[in-house]
Amino acid sequence: MSVLDDLLLFTALASVAIIVVRRFASVSKLSVIVYALATVLLVKMSALGYGGEPIYSSFTLNVLGQNLYWRFDSLSWFFALITVVIALFTSVFMSGAWAEKYCQEHSTEAYGLLQAALVLNVLSMLVLLASGDLLSLFIGWELVSWASFMMMFLNQDKVARKAAIKYIVYAMAAAMSILMAIAMTYSMTGSLDYVQIMQAVAHLSNTQIALLVTLYGVGFGIKMGVIPFHLWQAAAYAETPGPGAVFMGAISARMGLYALIVIVVQIFSLTRVAAIEIPYTFLNMQNILAWVGALTTIIPTYIALKQNDARYLLAWHGVGQGGYMLLGVMIADSIGTAGGIMHVFNYATYQAALFMAVTAVMFRTGTSNFSKLGGLVTQMPLTFMVMVVSIIGLAGIPPMNGFVSKWLVYRALLLDGEPLLFVAAVIGTLGTILSVYKLVHNTFLGQLRLEHQDVKEAPLSMLLPMLGLVLIIFGTGVMPGVVLDWVAAAQNAVGIAPITHNLGGIELAQGGLDMIWVTGVMFYGFAVGAIVFYFLGGKSKHIHQFDNYAGGHFLTSKVRYHYSNHFYAGLMHLIGGWYKDFFKKLEQALVSLVSFLSQLSENFYRSAQPAVLVAAVAFIALWFIMSSFSMPADTGTVAPITQGIQGGLPK
Amino acid sequence: MSTITELLTELFLMPLIAFMVGLAMVLMLRKIGARLQRRVGPPLLQPIFDIVKLYGKDTQVSHGLIHDIGLVMAVGGYVAAEIFLPVPGMDGIADKGGIITLSYVMMVPSLGLALGVGQCANPNGSIGISRALTAMLAYDIPFIIVVFGVAAHYQSTSLVGMIEYQQAHQWGIFEMPLLAAAGLFALQGMMGKQPFEIYVAPAEIATGPMVEMSGKYMGGLFVMQTFQLYTAGVLYTSLFLGGGSNWFEFLLKIFVVVAIPMSVAFVFPRYRTEDMVRIMWKWPVMAALIGIAFVL
Amino acid sequence: MDNIVLLVVLPLLAAFLMPVLARFSEVVARVLGLSVLVFAIAIIINVWPQVNSQATSIAIGGFMPPIGISFYVDQVSILFALAIPVMVLLFWPWQRKTSIREYSLMMLLTASSSGLVLSGDLFNIYVFYELLAVASYSLIAVQGRAVSIAASFRYLLMGSVGSVMMLLGIAIIYTQTGTLNLAHLSLLAPLHLDNMAGLAAFALILVGMGVKAELFPVNNWVPEVYGSVSSNLAALMAGLLSKLAVIVVVRIMVLLFPQPEAMQLMAMLGILGVITGELVAWRARDFVRMLSFSSIGQLGLIFLAFSIPGDTGMMAGIALALHHMVVKPALFMLATGWSGSLENLSGVARRSPLTVLLFVLLILSLLGIPPLPGFWAKYLLMVGLAGQDSAVYTLGMIAVPLAMIVEIAYLFRLVMIMYRKEDTVKVKAHSKWGLAIAASAGAALIAIVLQLQPAGDKLTTLAQQLSDRNYYIMTVFPQFHTAETGMQSIK
Repeated sequence: MSVLDDLLLFTALASVAIIVVRRFASVSKLSVIVYALATVLLVKMSALGYGGEPIYSSFTLNVLGQNLYWRFDSLSWFFALITVVIALFTSVFMSGAWAEKYCQEHSTEAYGLLQAALVLNVLSMLVLLASGDLLSLFIGWELVSWASFMMMFLNQDKVARKAAIKYIVYAMAAAMSILMAIAMTYSMTGSLDYVQIMQAVAHLSNTQIALLVTLYGVGFGIKMGVIPFHLWQAAAYAETPGPGAVFMGAISARMGLYALIVIVVQIFSLTRVAAIEIPYTFLNMQNILAWVGALTTIIPTYIALKQNDARYLLAWHGVGQGGYMLLGVMIADSIGTAGGIMHVFNYATYQAALFMAVTAVMFRTGTSNFSKLGGLVTQMPLTFMVMVVSIIGLAGIPPMNGFVSKWLVYRALLLDGEPLLFVAAVIGTLGTILSVYKLVHNTFLGQLRLEHQDVKEAPLSMLLPMLGLVLIIFGTGVMPGVVLDWVAAAQNAVGIAPITHNLGGIELAQGGLDMIWVTGVMFYGFAVGAIVFYFLGGKSKHIHQFDNYAGGHFLTSKVRYHYSNHFYAGLMHLIGGWYKDFFKKLEQALVSLVSFLSQLSENFYRSAQPAVLVAAVAFIALWFIMSSFSMPADTGTVAPITQGIQGGLPK
Repeated sequence: MSTITELLTELFLMPLIAFMVGLAMVLMLRKIGARLQRRVGPPLLQPIFDIVKLYGKDTQVSHGLIHDIGLVMAVGGYVAAEIFLPVPGMDGIADKGGIITLSYVMMVPSLGLALGVGQCANPNGSIGISRALTAMLAYDIPFIIVVFGVAAHYQSTSLVGMIEYQQAHQWGIFEMPLLAAAGLFALQGMMGKQPFEIYVAPAEIATGPMVEMSGKYMGGLFVMQTFQLYTAGVLYTSLFLGGGSNWFEFLLKIFVVVAIPMSVAFVFPRYRTEDMVRIMWKWPVMAALIGIAFVL
Repeated sequence: MDNIVLLVVLPLLAAFLMPVLARFSEVVARVLGLSVLVFAIAIIINVWPQVNSQATSIAIGGFMPPIGISFYVDQVSILFALAIPVMVLLFWPWQRKTSIREYSLMMLLTASSSGLVLSGDLFNIYVFYELLAVASYSLIAVQGRAVSIAASFRYLLMGSVGSVMMLLGIAIIYTQTGTLNLAHLSLLAPLHLDNMAGLAAFALILVGMGVKAELFPVNNWVPEVYGSVSSNLAALMAGLLSKLAVIVVVRIMVLLFPQPEAMQLMAMLGILGVITGELVAWRARDFVRMLSFSSIGQLGLIFLAFSIPGDTGMMAGIALALHHMVVKPALFMLATGWSGSLENLSGVARRSPLTVLLFVLLILSLLGIPPLPGFWAKYLLMVGLAGQDSAVYTLGMIAVPLAMIVEIAYLFRLVMIMYRKEDTVKVKAHSKWGLAIAASAGAALIAIVLQLQPAGDKLTTLAQQLSDRNYYIMTVFPQFHTAETGMQSIK
C-alpha cells in the first residue's frame, strides 16, 4: 500500500461515509475532518512537491488488453494539493451558519447532497490527477464531468437547470473529442501508455500530431471554457449553491489544463507542436494555442464587465483567467510555463475567497444582484477586506499572488518577443481591473440600502476560511518561492526546464522580481502615506454613512442614488457595439441545424410507402455494389478474404 | 553595512526629492498655463501654501475608514513607486522590480483612490471613478505597448539596465522615435492633464471623483499629483532619454518631458472620456505597434 | 449435445399443441409453454461447458453436411440461444388476461429465433426467419388496438418485400455455388462469391434481414410498432429479435462475404442509421417514440461496429449488441409507467427517486460513460474505427460522436424534466415485474463493471470465434485440417 493508495481509498471511503450520513447534522463536521486528513496524506507525499519520484498506486486494472494504472507525479500532486485544500476551506465555510440556513431554506437532504457532490468532485479529481495512461485519464475525466454535473444539478431553478444541460452537452462533446483522439492515438502508436506514446510520437507525421492536438485541445479546451467553447461555464458555475460555486469556480475547470499539460506538453512536447506550420499563415500550432489563450483572457473578461450579478461576474472571470494559464503554458519556456502553472494555484486561492465573500453577502442579504446591493462595507468590513485583497490578486496588482504569476507570463512574452500576445494579456488585465472595481463598488461601496441597515458581519465559520485564504493570497504573494518550488517540480515532471527561483521571486540578469522587497517598499510607502495623512493637518470628522448630498441637495437614505446601473456607460458607448454575441449566435445556428436535419430525418420515417422503399433500397444497394466493384474475381485467389480478416486484437 | 545605510537613506531621500521636484513641476505647469492665458501666474511658494492650507482646514469630512485608507494608498503607492525609479546616484530597489512591476505599482494609487471615493457614497464620485477607470483603460494600452517595445529593444525589464544601455549607446528616443512619440501621448493621458483631464475634473470638483474630498483629503491628492508628475517625467526619461548621469541633466530632462507636451496640449479643448478612449486606441496604439515592428 | 435440437423442436411442438390442449385445460396449456422455456434453459446450461471448450456442428437426422442440414453451436450462438428463452420468460405476457393464441405465438417466436441463431445453412435461416416474421406480425396484431393492427400491416408489407429480397439473394448464392450449407459456402466463397453476383446476393440478404434488424433505411416500421405494442413485446423485439437478425447477417458476412465492399455497404447503412435515429429521437416528444428511435440509432452503431474488419470491430459489435440487449428492454420496462408525452414526466423524480436513478444509470451506460459497460463497447468501436483507412470508417468516426452529443441532449432534457420541481402526477405506476427487470439490468451493468477483466476476456474469445472463418469450417468439416486443404478437396 503506497500513500497514494491510502489517499484514494480514504477519499473513496469518505465519499461513501458522507453519502451515508448525509441526512445527519454531523455530515458537515465529518467532511471537514475528511478533507483535513486528505490534506495530511498529501503532505505525507510532499516529497513530490520538491522533485520526488512518482508514487504508484498498487491497484491496477487489466481490461481488454490494456493495463490501467494510477500514479501521482509532481504535477498531479500540485493540482491535488490545490483541490484538497480548497475543498477543506470550502467545507469549513459551509459547515456552520451557512449549513443551518441552507437546511432551513431547502432541506437537510439538499445539504447532504451538496456535501456528497463536493466529496465526489474531490474524489473524481484525485482519480483523474492520478491517471497513468490514456484510458484511466479518460475514466477520470468523465468522472469529473459527471461529478460537476451533479453539483450543478443541485440548484432546481430553471436558469441553473438550463445551464446544467448546456454543460452536459458541451461535456459530452469534450468527451467524444477526447475519445476520438484516444482511439486515434492508439491506432497510430499502438499503445495508450504515456511512456510508449512518447516514444512513438517521434515517428508520427506532423499532420497526425496536428490532428491529435486539435482533438485533445478541443476536448480539454471545452472543460477550460476557452474560446470558442466559453459559453457554458459561467452560468453553470455561478448557479451552483454558494460553496459549490466556490469549489467549482476555483479548481474544477483547471482539470482541463492539467490534462492539456500532460498530453500536449509532456507527451507531444511543445517543440513538436511548434514545428507544425499552419498553411497560408505565419502561425504554427503552438501560436494558435497561445492565441486561443490570449483571446480567452480578453473576450470572457469583457463579458464579465457587463454582468450585473456578482456570481456571474466572477464566473466569467474564471473563464478569462483560464486564458492566462493556457497562454503561460503555451509560451513553452521555463518562465512562462511556471507562470501558467503557478496561476492555477494563485487563481484558486483568490477565486475561492471571492466566491466566499459573495456567498457571505448573499448569506446576509439574500442577493448577489448589483442593483440590490451597495454600501455594505460598514456592515461587513472583514468580508470587504477579503474581497479587496482577492480582487487585488485577481487584477494582478502587487503585492498579492496573482501579480507574480502574471508577471511571469508577461516576462516570458517579453523575452519571447510576442508583442500582440502581450498586449492581449494586458487588455485582459485592464478589463479585469475595471470589472473588479465594479464588483467591489456595487456590493460594498456607495450607498447602503435601508433594508441592509441591520446586516451583520459574516459569521465566524464563514470568515475563518476567507481570512485563511487571504493569508495565503498575501503570503504567497510576498514569498512566491514557496509555490514556485512546487511549480518547478511540476515543470520537471512534464519535461520542461524548471524555473530558477528564490523565496522572493526569480533572479534574472535582465530584470528579475523580488516580491519581498517589492512588498516591503510598498508597505514602507503606505506607512509614509499614513504618516502624511494621519499625523499632518487637522483632525477629520467621521460622519454617518447616510449623511450625504449630491448636486447641492441633501440626500436621504430613502432616495436610491447608488450608481450601479450601467456602470461604465461611457466605455460601453464606445465598445458596446462590439458585443455581437457572435458565439451565442453560432451556438443557436448549430441547434437550428440539428433541428433542421432532425426534421428531414423524421420525414423519412413518416414515409407512407414502406414496401416501395424496401425495393428501392435493394435497388440502390445493388447499384452501389455494381458501381464500386471493379472486376469479377474468377481467378480463384483468396486475397480479398484474407484482406477482410486482417487487423489484430488490441495489445 | 554601508549598503544598508545607503538603502535607508535612499528610502528616505527618493520620495522626498520626488515631492520637492513634483512641487516645482506643479508650479511650472501653472506658470505655463498662466503665460499661455496671458496671466502672471502664482508666486514661487504657491504650491506649498496650497498644501498647508488644505491640511490646515477646519472642515475635514471622513466618510469612513476606507475613505482614509484610500488616501493612504493613493499617496503611499506613489511613494513606493518613487523607490523603484532610479535617479542619478540612487537606484533604490530598481533591480528588484523593473518596469512591469513599476507599471502595476502605479495602479495601486488609482485603486486606492477609487476605493476611497467609492466609500463616500456620492453618485457623482462613483461616476467620476467609472470615467477614471475607463480613461485608465484608454491610456494604459498604448503605454503597455510602448513598455513592451522598449523592454524588447533593450532585452531587459530593469530600468537600471535600460539606462546603462542608453548611456553606452544612444538615447531611446533616437532608436525608437515612434515608440517615444506614442509614449509621450499615453503619458499625457496618464497624468490626467489637458486635454484628457475630464476624469479628474479639477475645474468641476462637485461633479468629479473629488467631490467628497475636503481639507487634507484634497491635500493628499495634491501631494499625489506632485508624485504623479515626477513619476511620469522620470519614467519617460529613463525609457527614452537615457536617464541622467548627473542631477542637473536629469532635472532638465524631466522638466522638459513634463513641460513640452503640456504647453502643446494646453491649447486643445477637452476630450470626452469615450473620445479619449477612441483617440488613445487609435494614434498612439498605431504608432507604437509600427514602432514595435521596427524594433523587433 | 444433440439435445440442442430440442431448443427448436420443443417450442415448435408446444406452439402447435397449446391451442389444442387449451380446449381441454387452459392451465395445462399455460404451464406447458413455461415449462418448455425452463427446460430449454436447462438444456443450454447443461451443454454450456462443452460449448465453451469446443464448438460443435450437429447434423440433423444423421445426414452429414454439406448434404444434410446442420446446427452450428459455438459460444456466440449458445449465448444468444440462451438469451432467447430467458428473455421470452422475462417478457412473457403475464400480467394481462391473454388469449392462449398469444402464448402459442410466443412459443413460435422462441422456436424460430432459436433456429435462426443455431442454423448452419441458408435455407433453414430463411425458413426460421419467415417463421419469426409471421410470429411477430401476429403478435403485434394480436395486441388488438387499431394502431397496432395498422403498424403490423406496415411491418408486414416491409417484411414480406424484405423476405423476397432475401430469398432472391439466397437463390443467387445457390445458382453460383450449388450449396446452401454455410461452411461449405465458406469454402466456396473465394471462388464463386467474390464477384458482383455474390455481392449483389449479400446486399439483398442485408436488406432483407435488415428489416428485422432495424437497419436503415428499411426500419421505418419501428416507431409505429414499438409505439403501439405492449412494452413487453417492444422490449423483446428491440432487445432480442433485432440482435438475432444482426448476428445472422454478421455470420453470413464473415463466412461468405468478407469483401471490403460488403463491409462498407453495411458500415454506410449503419452510419445513416445512427445519424437519423438519434436526430429523430431528438425531436421525439413521447417516451416510447424516443426509445424506438434511440434503438434505431443503437442498431446503427452495432452494424457499424460489425462492419469493421478485424477482431476489434467484432468485439465492439458483440459488446454493443449485448449491452443494448440488456439496456434497451430495461428502458422499455420503465416505459410501462412512463408512456406518453415527455411532459407528463415532469417532477416524477420526487415521487419515485430510485426509479429515476435507475433510468439515469441505464442511459449513462447507453451513452457510454466510463466505467459503465457501454463505455467499453464504445471505446472498442472507436478504436476499431480509428484503425481503418477507408473513408467510410472515417465518416463513422465523425458521425458516432456527433450522434452521441445529440443523444445526450435529448436524454438529459428528459432527465431535467423528471427532476423538475413541479409534480404533475400524470404517470401511472410501473409494474413490479417490469421494475424488477429494469433493476436487475442495472445490477447487471454494475456487476460487469466490477468484473471488467473477465468480461473483457470473454468478449475477446467470443469475437475471435465469431470472426474465425477457419474455425467454423473446421468444426463443420473436421476431416479437413485447414481451410486450404478443404478448398483443395472441394475443387
